[in-house]
Amino acid sequence: MKVVLSWLREFCPTDLPADELAEALTAVGVKVEEILRPWDGLSGVVVAEVLEVADHPDSDKLCVTRVRTTNGEATVVAGVRNMEAGDLVPYAPPGSRVPLLPDPLEVRSLRGVESEGMLCSPRELNVADVHTGIMVLPSDSPLGADVGERFGLADAVLDIEIEPNRPDLMSVIGVAREASAVTGVPLTIPDAGVSEGEEPATDVARVEVVDLERCPYYLARVIRGVGLGESPVTAQARLTAAGMRPISNVVDATNYILLEVGHPLHPFDLSLLDGASIIVRRAEEGEELTTLDGVIRSLTGEDLLIADRSRGVAVAGVMGSAAAEVSQATTDVLLESAYFQPGGILRTARRLGLSTEASMRFERGADPEAVAFAAGRAAHLIAEWSGGTVLAGAAEAGSVSPRRHVSVRPQRASAVLGTGELTGPEVGRRLASVGFVVQDRDDVVDAEVPSFRVDVQCEIDLIEEIVRVDRGYERIGATLPEVRQPGGMPPPYAFRRRLRELLVRQGLAEVRSLSFASAADLDLMGDPPDRAIRLANPLSAEEGSLRTRLTPGLLRALQHNQARNVLTARVFEVGTVFRAGAPVDEVEKVGFAITGPASHGWSDPDRELDFFDARGIVEVVLEGLGVRDWTLGEPAPMPFHPGRSATVTVAGRHAGLVGELHPRVAADWDLSGRVAIAVLAVEALRSGVDPDVAYAEVPRFPPARRDLAFIVREDVPAGDLRSALLDAGGEVTGSVELFDVFAGGPIPEGKRNLAFSVDFRVPDRTLTDDEVDEAVARIATRLAADFGAELRG
Amino acid sequence: MEPAEALRILDEELENGRALAAAAADLAALDRAQTAALGRKSRYSQVQKSLGGLAPDDRRSVGKRANEVREELDAALDARRAELQAVAESGLLAADRVDVSLPGRRRPLGSLHPLTITEYAIVDVFTRMGFRVAEGPEIETDWYNFTALNIPPDHPARSMKDSLFVDVEGHPDLLLRTETSAVQIHTMEEQQPPVYIVSPGRVYRRETLDATHSAVFHQIEGLAVDEGITFADLKGTLEAFAKALFGPDQRVRFSPSYFPFVEPGAQVDVSCFKCAGTGCRTCGNGWIEMLGAGMVHPAVLENVGYDPERYTGFAFGMGLERVAMIRYGIPDIRLFFEGDVRFLEQFVSAG
Repeated sequence: MKVVLSWLREFCPTDLPADELAEALTAVGVKVEEILRPWDGLSGVVVAEVLEVADHPDSDKLCVTRVRTTNGEATVVAGVRNMEAGDLVPYAPPGSRVPLLPDPLEVRSLRGVESEGMLCSPRELNVADVHTGIMVLPSDSPLGADVGERFGLADAVLDIEIEPNRPDLMSVIGVAREASAVTGVPLTIPDAGVSEGEEPATDVARVEVVDLERCPYYLARVIRGVGLGESPVTAQARLTAAGMRPISNVVDATNYILLEVGHPLHPFDLSLLDGASIIVRRAEEGEELTTLDGVIRSLTGEDLLIADRSRGVAVAGVMGSAAAEVSQATTDVLLESAYFQPGGILRTARRLGLSTEASMRFERGADPEAVAFAAGRAAHLIAEWSGGTVLAGAAEAGSVSPRRHVSVRPQRASAVLGTGELTGPEVGRRLASVGFVVQDRDDVVDAEVPSFRVDVQCEIDLIEEIVRVDRGYERIGATLPEVRQPGGMPPPYAFRRRLRELLVRQGLAEVRSLSFASAADLDLMGDPPDRAIRLANPLSAEEGSLRTRLTPGLLRALQHNQARNVLTARVFEVGTVFRAGAPVDEVEKVGFAITGPASHGWSDPDRELDFFDARGIVEVVLEGLGVRDWTLGEPAPMPFHPGRSATVTVAGRHAGLVGELHPRVAADWDLSGRVAIAVLAVEALRSGVDPDVAYAEVPRFPPARRDLAFIVREDVPAGDLRSALLDAGGEVTGSVELFDVFAGGPIPEGKRNLAFSVDFRVPDRTLTDDEVDEAVARIATRLAADFGAELRG
Repeated sequence: MEPAEALRILDEELENGRALAAAAADLAALDRAQTAALGRKSRYSQVQKSLGGLAPDDRRSVGKRANEVREELDAALDARRAELQAVAESGLLAADRVDVSLPGRRRPLGSLHPLTITEYAIVDVFTRMGFRVAEGPEIETDWYNFTALNIPPDHPARSMKDSLFVDVEGHPDLLLRTETSAVQIHTMEEQQPPVYIVSPGRVYRRETLDATHSAVFHQIEGLAVDEGITFADLKGTLEAFAKALFGPDQRVRFSPSYFPFVEPGAQVDVSCFKCAGTGCRTCGNGWIEMLGAGMVHPAVLENVGYDPERYTGFAFGMGLERVAMIRYGIPDIRLFFEGDVRFLEQFVSAG
């Protein structure tokens, strides 16, 4: 809400400068976001009379005007020639300033004619966003008068953030009330000031409200004999500064009151209303109406309609229709002022996707007591600006609801706020300062809620008022609650922290991907569309569903890095994926993806990150978590490499997978080189944790170390050989490390050499050579029998 | 051999031996010098062998002299050996020299995401104050996300934030949570006061991605409900938080604001830590808008079956992205979600 300060000062004549007033208002919750100064730099522009408009000798477009002020005559070159001799115009002589130009005006030669300053358009004076002609001023403007002073083109504009509970602040008077409370300068609201003709409005217009629940009060004023034209310069300037476009005197008057009082009004052309009647009723199901924005709206039985005898003329409280719009032909105006039930307006506006100045106010709650005042004031302005006559009284239906009473216990207020004891009179004083009518006792204060304060419904609302005014927030002390419990983290949260820490220790960088998935993402992972949770109102098709997997997000991160020539990337994510379930399953996953050169510089051999780097990370992380019971199984499905991937089982449960991305998929994603990925279900890991950590004696006797190399068929998994080796060696077999794998050379075709370094030991002594030989023999026999493995001598 | 002859030879060999030791250019030459001076075939050995043929007095005097010469020669040879060893070692070390300005062999350091770091820093402050971490689902029902939080269906606050709804047949009331506040309701439904929780989590709004908006972002929210909780407690708690997170000189400022689930509601600004509150490019006027807060609305307590006459509470919440952007001077929210390792690695030392 943009509030022109000179306008506000009409109701609260404070002389505080804009920045001090803004600070004081913000401190009581009227948040001034910005102070605008549209007329900064306007000086010395005066009212001048056009004496003559002549052709420019050397230009078709330009013209040469002679103007007269109280200081004499001047010649000014203009780019347009909408003005005529006798018109009064804003003249900016040399040395004067206009807001839109950085420098003062000078005498300047325009195609050989000396121009002494310029004539101003409405836009150059920030009166209206019109730049098609020179502004023509009212004929009663005094010659030589300062244009800024004469038309109120001065002072700042406060841009105020409106919270949805305070629709009363969506008006100049509403903000003036708060300004009055913070400055102590009394609020001066004039009465409507309307002078009426003799003819009663009820003779020429009828109002009937069918749905009194949705429209408790409807009032129509009639203004006859209007002549459409421009509204006064000051009004135009204020509308423009508040962000509205001046249209015509009749429409501008209603908008002016909308801004000033905060109550939306709507003018109809009385002659276009069938039967000169207003009927407020629900729309028929499917009833159509073309709103003023030119869109055909199909209504439902839930929508409230303003109709005449034959058709709808406005969507109540939201937008009018072209059917009874005021136009140049209009002579008689029916002016609507009503109170609509907020929920109904909200639902209709939301369903139609329309948010207007009117709907924003009605849906938050208008002031029922402002209905008559706003109508009277607007009728007065219409008559004044357009030359019409306001008919006596108003056609009306329904009634204004009585004011609410809410009470507050001062002792309760003190207890909630943590301040010293508040007394009844003190509470009463603070409430009265913002318009409540109070009756205070020490134990309870009764407050009659002003009709514009729709937000005040119960005791806590009054407690907020008590602390809001007088900068109470700043004055409350600071204490700490007596917390009688130890703080901490639930196990799943602590486990996730541990998981992240272990992944970081492995040199991975944590990423956070967006939670959305495209159809292509689902397809990539082989998820049928009905497995995913679709969004009802996605921002784009790429974000049409929620992610079912972490993999696409991890791949996007790698893609982002490779595309920027960052070749080595190691990233991980811990996050939620979503799947159709009962009705929705949220599953927490941990995943990582690595790609690029493994080397860290000049001294490392060149090598690419691959499956074994990923597997190594999985091994170490599981070890660090205390997950001991895990195995690798079958290759993982697409999009993984069938020969370089495996599913992971933890404590007998499927937990996820580790593997390289299928090269075809990598190519589709523009990823070069190998990409190794692992994704595991966090809960599967957590339930696989063996929590027991107990000391085992550190060996006191040295082991006997033997290197055992086996030649075995290529398709024998090294893991199987290792398991059999451990088993056959028996309890004297300590650690087993596979230190070499090779094929070719002296090794026969189709076979490979697997070399293990095996430590043999018992806890209480050093083994003899014979005992070790015996164990080696057992191993050799078993591996020969099970795998046809040949122990090399 | 005459004793006089023997003594002369010993003197000569002492001189000779010293000269040989001094002349030895390396350890091998020194070994040869030792053999020549003291070896079995040396003249010194001949003197020793001749001792048996001397008269007892002569044998004593020549023998004594022979021992003296041997000690002196041993000393000379040892000294020279030490010199030569030092030379040899320094040669080896020189050959083994490296360019220490070459970079070291590094293992990748790994890094937590700046949002995680920020979340942990905040969580740790509050858990030390006795708060417990509580979490909830990202897909919520209308009740938890809105209605129970005092935002009934026709409430204008609903149009403030454009929600993302999920399309699940038979469940039109499901949506992606717009605030972590829903966790408050879950927690209070499940337990009786006292409640002291802090809940970090991912939230969603229907917003197009740009430098300051993202449809996915993160919040952290706190809730305290107990007998006798006051607005002053809220102020004290957040002041303590600000000092713990941003430094002991931090100040906080409360001004009235509106959130449907708290009343009185407040906007909480912290003094700018860049300029210490004097006003700069980061803050403008010395204050940085950081949290929303307030006293839990009695309607919310009623919605979870708490007696609002007996219990009062406060709640506060903040955006993790905003806190992280301010802490680290990050200009664009999109950086959090792109996974650029050049961005992520900047936070290896962040705490």
